[in-house]
Amino acid sequence: MATSTYLSNPVVTVNSVDLTDQCTAATFTHRFDSLEATSFGDTARNFVKGLGNHEVTLSLYMSYASSETYATLAALVGTATNVEIKTATGTPSPTAPNFVLTGGFLSELPVINSTMGELSTVDITFVGGDFAVVTAGP
Amino acid sequence: MYTIVSPRVGTPGEEYTPAEGTNVEALLLGGFIVKTVKAKPASSKDDKIEPNKE
Repeated sequence: MATSTYLSNPVVTVNSVDLTDQCTAATFTHRFDSLEATSFGDTARNFVKGLGNHEVTLSLYMSYASSETYATLAALVGTATNVEIKTATGTPSPTAPNFVLTGGFLSELPVINSTMGELSTVDITFVGGDFAVVTAGP
Repeated sequence: MYTIVSPRVGTPGEEYTPAEGTNVEALLLGGFIVKTVKAKPASSKDDKIEPNKE
């Protein structure tokens, strides 16, 4: 049965900047490359874990005002930084974990994505880096 | 030493200590923080000044 009202009260931080009020969707994928390890005698393909290949995709309203989306992301294109998504405000716990990508690389930023009569939004993706789950406060 | 300017990073005026992996240059360029230099303490009256013997 469905148990999560997604993400009703999360906190999204990019490079220490809180962009929660500009974010409308977030996908954090914890992933490893799958290396084929199938050999003679096997009756099905077998795989083992390879390198981590994690990814965070955010949908953000674009704003060029000071301290907003563009100011946060413009200098990050082509660099690696940290992205943190807290599933709820407050101290993290096993039922309200924080997910952290350390050293995620931002390869591109759509600087304009607009349609007349609509708020401008951009989708950005951070790839690579180290994945961590925080389930307890400092 | 860095000081927070934007409330999106923390409380403005407080010292900012970057976490590992944070792109500080991007925060400076975006105007979220500023670099501050600690003022040198003023010399006290008790400081002894060696007279020039020549």
